[in-house]
Amino acid sequence: MSGGRKTELLEDYAQSLNELTFNSGPIIENLTTIARENSDVADGIIDTISHRISTAPAEQKLYTLYLLDSICKTVGNPYNILVEDHLANLFTQVYQHSNDQTKKKLVSVLQNWKITKAKGTTLPLFGRSVLSEIEAYLAKSGVKPPPTPATKMIEDINGLIRIFDSKFREIPDPKTKDRLQALHNLRSLLLSGSVQPGDLPTIQSTLNDMSNQINSSQSTPQPNAGYKAETIFHNLIESGLVKVDRDPIPGSKPVYSLQFPKIKYIKPSAIKTPSSSGSSSSTSSILQDILNSNLHNSLHITEFEKVKFEGLVTISNQIANSDLQSFINTNKPTSTELNLLYEAKSSKCSICGKRFTTDSEGSTKKRLHLDWHFRVNKKVSTNKSNVQSRNWYLDDFEWVKFQDDELLEFSTKGDNSSSGSNSTNKTINDNDSKLLDIVANNQYVKVPPRSSNMKNTCNVCHLPVQAVYNDDSGDWVWLKCMKVPGEGKNSRKIVHVDCFNETNKRTPEAELPKSRVKRERV
Amino acid sequence: MSIPGFGGGDTSTFRPEDSIQVEIPGFSEWRFEVPHKTILKFKIIDGIGEIFGTELPLNVELQLTGVKYAIYAPLSNGCKLEYTTLQNKAVITNEDEEISEYLSNETQAQTTYINLHLGLETIRQETRDSNILNPKDLKQGPKVLIIGNPGSGKTSLAKTLVGYANKMDSRPILVNLNPRDGVFCLPGSISATPISDTLDVESTNGYGFTTTTGSMNHNPKQPIIKNYGFSDINQNLDLYKYQISKLGVTVLSRLEEDLSIRNSGIVIDTPPLSIKDFTIIENIVSDFEVDIIVIMGNERLLIDLKKKFKHKLSQLQIIKVPISGGVAEVDEGFIRRSQEETIKEYFNGNHKTRLSPFKTDIDAKDLIIYKAVLASDIASTLAFLPSADSYAADEDENSEVKSKTDDSLTKYYSLLTEPSSSNLDNSIMAITQLPQTNNSGKDLLNTSIKGYVHVSKYEDEKHKMKILLPFAGAFPKHVLISTNIGFNE
Repeated sequence: MSGGRKTELLEDYAQSLNELTFNSGPIIENLTTIARENSDVADGIIDTISHRISTAPAEQKLYTLYLLDSICKTVGNPYNILVEDHLANLFTQVYQHSNDQTKKKLVSVLQNWKITKAKGTTLPLFGRSVLSEIEAYLAKSGVKPPPTPATKMIEDINGLIRIFDSKFREIPDPKTKDRLQALHNLRSLLLSGSVQPGDLPTIQSTLNDMSNQINSSQSTPQPNAGYKAETIFHNLIESGLVKVDRDPIPGSKPVYSLQFPKIKYIKPSAIKTPSSSGSSSSTSSILQDILNSNLHNSLHITEFEKVKFEGLVTISNQIANSDLQSFINTNKPTSTELNLLYEAKSSKCSICGKRFTTDSEGSTKKRLHLDWHFRVNKKVSTNKSNVQSRNWYLDDFEWVKFQDDELLEFSTKGDNSSSGSNSTNKTINDNDSKLLDIVANNQYVKVPPRSSNMKNTCNVCHLPVQAVYNDDSGDWVWLKCMKVPGEGKNSRKIVHVDCFNETNKRTPEAELPKSRVKRERV
Repeated sequence: MSIPGFGGGDTSTFRPEDSIQVEIPGFSEWRFEVPHKTILKFKIIDGIGEIFGTELPLNVELQLTGVKYAIYAPLSNGCKLEYTTLQNKAVITNEDEEISEYLSNETQAQTTYINLHLGLETIRQETRDSNILNPKDLKQGPKVLIIGNPGSGKTSLAKTLVGYANKMDSRPILVNLNPRDGVFCLPGSISATPISDTLDVESTNGYGFTTTTGSMNHNPKQPIIKNYGFSDINQNLDLYKYQISKLGVTVLSRLEEDLSIRNSGIVIDTPPLSIKDFTIIENIVSDFEVDIIVIMGNERLLIDLKKKFKHKLSQLQIIKVPISGGVAEVDEGFIRRSQEETIKEYFNGNHKTRLSPFKTDIDAKDLIIYKAVLASDIASTLAFLPSADSYAADEDENSEVKSKTDDSLTKYYSLLTEPSSSNLDNSIMAITQLPQTNNSGKDLLNTSIKGYVHVSKYEDEKHKMKILLPFAGAFPKHVLISTNIGFNE
């Protein structure tokens, strides 16, 4: 190739490079093709690219690096060898001028280089020393190398080994044993570093499949929490409390069902402990194990519930020994049993005598409870007119759906005054009710023009309403009132806005013909 | 100094120099009877004391009137209280003014009630555990029916059982099938109420309030109420049984809906029933799917019932508990008085919670008023006919359509065609949930009660009624049922 043609080509190449101002696939592809076809000027092309990287605006440097990456990977020799000497320099140049997002991309480019092989060979794309140099630079600038796929995989394998291990203890199934062995082998292979980087994705996907399978066939996907629970669960199965139904096909999903109440009514002497297991744990001790185990922690068992459960298990055994009638006749309640009703909840409300536990849940409840006493007392003492009256009772349908929590002081539905009313009433929040007050205060009815009688009465509460002069509109008006809906323009029938809202709220169904819903139980 | 929110204030009524101290030894009880014309003010000053399973606060003054209660010291260290009595000026009766009171250590019955509670709570716990681990096959908590003679302490036991259950975080439904007492409603009705909080011992009958428009010192309860219309179950046994079955359907549906109630089950209080009333007992057992019958100290009834329920004993336990030595006799006058207090409290509230009822006049012309039929009236109608057979034959031939539509109702309710002062003055009317636009007999039978009004005067010429409503507002255009429960303001 003549020197003139060479210069011309490189000038053209530099020209095209200047157009690489965005991440353009076609341009990169095109320039890669040119590089492949003109490998005789490889050093020139690399110089041009290096120049471009050092002169291009900061945000465009990355795209030129992508081009370099593309050339090295798809063309390979001689580019990857020639560029190796400059690589660390080029990479750090781009990296220095990049924002955080680009930096992340650069790191992933580097990761990619580590596992890529030069085209047509089994040799790595770039020498290990160059890549280490770049890594050392990154480490200095505060970037932690992300775990290599291999180390991540080793962690995954460790997790899987734990699961399979506990599974194997539960059901000594040869298939599980094989898998366990395979995992151990794989782990030592990965640790030795003798696995080909190209094989890693395949291994990863196999591992993913395995753990997915485990998660779907196991109710406790957390390997750590799973271990203890699994053991206890296994004990439960042995004791016969939990029955396992499983198809005789390997890998089929077992179906567990609880045998709990039945066992309780069998006299302890009648319980046969399975000889094969060698475990002679009694029903109650296994149940207590459950209580103390992680399994029940996940169900939020409070201290009081634990104490109560232990007490009741003892009683349950006593009843099982005889029957309910003789238990009632002969039992002398122990102080532990009596305390379930009293000191087990040792924090007693000084106003009404209700008991609470001293743990955090009980304290929170007690605080809410005392706040509620405070609010009620305040209302009664500061506002003498705490006027209240009974609500209507609910109908069958509403009652069946009603949640009694709405009645309690812990109700999240706001004050009892609103939550205690019919569940069909929408709870009005504070802002809304303030707004309604304003609306009610500003609403008025004009005294009909030809009328001279300023006195009127509310149609609901029958209290007299006296008209006042409204300066703004220049009319005589009945304040805080509204016309009875459906009355004529000159009608004198008025109601207080409050009375109207109250009535409407209470008898919403009076206006609407109720459909005859059948409320029989199916 | 009184701080708003912390009450205080009115302590002058309790003068320590007038008060009498009582020391209740552990596991003993202080039994007392307070006539309606006297008010008992008392406070627990040391230890733990409870009234029928409801623990009393320490150093808080409480007041009771018209009650026959006992304060039990459930723990070995006993309980100390002081009390004083006042005249209740609002009530004039010819009862004795004095309270009667004594200490008793014969509380073995109380111990068995605690044992019964512990046994029931064990079943509740098993149900709860089973339902957590087996959510596809949900079980129900114990459904307990209490049966016994008059004055055997059924209601006290029912209160104790639900009170204790509540203390251990259970939430059973208390069903009252004795129309003589209004439990969260007025006499003449039967009701079911989830016990989600402590009972209010100071209120009339010791249950507490239902929801109001304001805030109260006790959390309210939310009952479902079915009308019966009489105090005595024999006045229309068919209607009584019908309403029990309807209440049963609703209560069991609630159990299906609400897990905490389902786990806790039901406690059913009843009017005095004996083996002669076996059909009623059988109805209740099947309507509420009862699985435990508790008999109040009647060996004979236990044996008879075990015989009758022989085929069901695999699903139904029948057990017996002794009668408490503290049960007090109540005479008709006392019952009547308590009913009046219940009605008064429904409209006006009590000394702690004042309610504002609403007096108004309404036009009676457009109202639809039904009345529960007296069984004896049906019988007398039949007696006038030549023979019961021909009566039935007539119906079949001449007016089959008419008899079909009416027959569903005639046994239970009849339309009050001529409301007048003679049949409405000073009575309680139940407002049903049924709008006037719906006039089907079947729906009337199946509806529940929305509230009550008291008719103080019916003006025959103008067809107007003076009524007392629980609150101000328009009179709901619903079907009304006139009850046999009278009340004189």
